[in-house]
Amino acid sequence: MLTVTNLTKAYEGKTVLTVPKLTIPPGIHYFRGSNGSGKTTFLRIIAGLLPFTGTVLLDNTYDSQRQPVDYRLRVNYAEAEPVYPDFLTARDLTSFVARAKRAPPGQVDQLADLLGVTAFWTQPIRTYSSGMLKKLSLLLAWLGQPQLVLLDEPLTTLDVETAARLFDFVREQIRQSVSVWLTSHQDVALTGLPITATWQVSNGTIHQATDAFTS
Amino acid sequence: MLVVMLLAAGFMRASDHEALIDAALGSPVLLGCFMALWGLYTLKATAFVRSQLAAPDHLFFNAFRLQTPSLRGLLWLWVVAELLIPILGYAGWMLVRAVRFAQWSAFYTIATAVMGLVVASVVWVDYRLRHPAPAPLRLNLPALPIPYGLFFPTYWLRKEPVSLVLTKVSSGLLLVGICLLYPTDDYDQRLLLLGLLLAVLFHASVSRQASQFEQHYLLLLDNLPYSVWQRLGRHVILYGLIWLPELALFLRHYPDAVTVQYVLLLWLTGLGWLVLIHTLVYGRRVDPDRWLACLFATFIIGLLTIMAHVPASVWCALGWGATIVFSRFRRLPLKVAS
Repeated sequence: MLTVTNLTKAYEGKTVLTVPKLTIPPGIHYFRGSNGSGKTTFLRIIAGLLPFTGTVLLDNTYDSQRQPVDYRLRVNYAEAEPVYPDFLTARDLTSFVARAKRAPPGQVDQLADLLGVTAFWTQPIRTYSSGMLKKLSLLLAWLGQPQLVLLDEPLTTLDVETAARLFDFVREQIRQSVSVWLTSHQDVALTGLPITATWQVSNGTIHQATDAFTS
Repeated sequence: MLVVMLLAAGFMRASDHEALIDAALGSPVLLGCFMALWGLYTLKATAFVRSQLAAPDHLFFNAFRLQTPSLRGLLWLWVVAELLIPILGYAGWMLVRAVRFAQWSAFYTIATAVMGLVVASVVWVDYRLRHPAPAPLRLNLPALPIPYGLFFPTYWLRKEPVSLVLTKVSSGLLLVGICLLYPTDDYDQRLLLLGLLLAVLFHASVSRQASQFEQHYLLLLDNLPYSVWQRLGRHVILYGLIWLPELALFLRHYPDAVTVQYVLLLWLTGLGWLVLIHTLVYGRRVDPDRWLACLFATFIIGLLTIMAHVPASVWCALGWGATIVFSRFRRLPLKVAS
């Protein structure tokens, strides 16, 4: 599904993440680690948001650096703490991202209803609570026809009802061969999602956790 | 724009400054102009402090309210005095000249104005500290859809209106002034190019603002499936929009001795250089000191090459050509590894 080779990420000359070789199959993958361990950095690299050295290859075909457009059509990302211009509305951002990600007709309305974004569709973002911001970022992450969706801390600030609907939607997407990677400081076992594998991010690298909850 | 003005003032000799000061001491209108400029500078400096107090990263400053008013006043006085050093220094120079020429009314006016600016700044920033997160006055208008091309212009208008007004007014006035000056003497087209160079430099900070806006508020842009060229195309449209008023002014005021084609060439040249500056800055951390040095060097080199009769067509080709070359070597994400 996704292969990472010789990945190195450094900030101001200091290496924070090194992944010599990592192959992650399709499914739901949970990345865990303490604060500052590099989970968000890793997801951002995979999402194409951060420069790095090494290779990230999707389906042995799409290189994040050599085929940046094809790759980004297939990999979406939801930030842990989204920040958007406060004068925009959910409608402005969604229509822009939906066009870029080539969202099929009707998808925006479906996702907006699912995540409860319709209720504040034309409200300026400055009026949003953190939960509303999170819902908007999750909506943006599902636009288009992604093969891999990266959800950084999707449970934070999300209300219970929306979270339940989101997890049902994730299960449905998994059946349609979409993979989901998520990070969380909450207990992901409570989500009831069929976790394919758990990965430990620590000491500047990533390895599969052996004590992990999987189903 | 303030940077360009300071640079322009820096080019004046000390004797020129003294002549200007002496004239201002005897002319209430000129003195009023000085004070208006100082007021503008003070407004900008204190607005910056107030914006920093409201920034999420600096909310810990609110604890500063726990200090006694007199201590807060003293500390704010220190901060404001540091920010207003250029004004205080220049006003001090003017006061010395006023004493030498016994211009006592000007002396008291300057002293009062400077003290007023300092005290008003202290009160204004302390008021923000005591009244954080004010409810902004807003018209309850229906939210019109905002397309991507208007994201940054809307941000600029809403969040940094002083910068927008100063940039556009100064650039527009300069170009109109140059166009009106052109027929009055034996100027050649180099004068228009000089005006264009300064107008582009007035816009130099826009590229940093646009870059910072997108890097901070639109992190998702780097995840969107747009190639480097598609992104460049979008930024060309953005700068075309920002630079459009200059085209209108050019077309309204261009001298008779110049053709419309030349005016269009000038506008395209300006657009090309704006996009080039954007391409060089976007996604990079730019050190402000180096940035100022680069602007200064650009101004000097530009001045010399224009004086050496390098035509607008060459400038146009250079701007757009360099943009294409630099873009050719950029890779997604448009960030330089730190």
